[in-house]
Amino acid sequence: MSVVTSPNVKRKYGVRNFERFSWLFMRVTGLFMFLAITFHLLYMHMVVKVENITFDNIVDRWTGPLGLVWKVFDLSILLVGMLHGYNGVRWVINDYVHHKGWNLALRLTLYTIGGILIAAGLMVLAVGPGSLR
Amino acid sequence: MSAVLESFYKGITYRGTEGHWAWILHRLSGLGIALFLSMHIISIFLVGIGPKAYEWVHSTLYVSPPAKILEVLLIFGVLYHAANGMRIIIIDFFPALGKYQRTIVRVELVIVIVVLIPAAIITLASLFS
Repeated sequence: MSVVTSPNVKRKYGVRNFERFSWLFMRVTGLFMFLAITFHLLYMHMVVKVENITFDNIVDRWTGPLGLVWKVFDLSILLVGMLHGYNGVRWVINDYVHHKGWNLALRLTLYTIGGILIAAGLMVLAVGPGSLR
Repeated sequence: MSAVLESFYKGITYRGTEGHWAWILHRLSGLGIALFLSMHIISIFLVGIGPKAYEWVHSTLYVSPPAKILEVLLIFGVLYHAANGMRIIIIDFFPALGKYQRTIVRVELVIVIVVLIPAAIITLASLFS
């Protein structure tokens, strides 16, 4: 194989390493969520059931004896879920939108919405129920 | 419109068959779940504002009869995305299994449906009580 000596080589390898990390990230977070979201679905949808979820039992869950455990669990599925999900949407944008300007515009919109949602989730977990009034 | 239908038909009848359909469904379920997750975070954000705001949105968006039917679709999407994601990871790390990928996709769909049926019954039970 010939040695590639393009001035772009450094940047290209940087991108490739990021996408390689991104590939591994999706596998690792996917495995984590296989367990975490299975538990979340079983507990919230099959045991508690969506129609029985009220403001009060969310407060009980976050402030009860296992409150910290629930908050760490909710924090982990918030961050891992958002990063896995929005990275997936980024892959879809890169697959179909080849025009450089549109691709960048869509990705920046995606990152902005993602950032706002993660911030909103963190805020609720940090300040607690009913305190943003 | 007919051009769209034609490219859709060409898309699903591409020679990839099981593997290709599994990929299409993985994308669609992934996009659907990402959209739901975004809505879910907004509704949980309302917990920070207060019981009235949260419970109004919860009762209209998550508990109404059309929402219960969409919840079954969500559970299908999550179960499929989880099962198919596991298949992708297994084949990524044991490429020799790629030889049986069509069978693995079929087995995976059977598992998803077997888990989905009781989940759907539990989810829809509140509509009939």
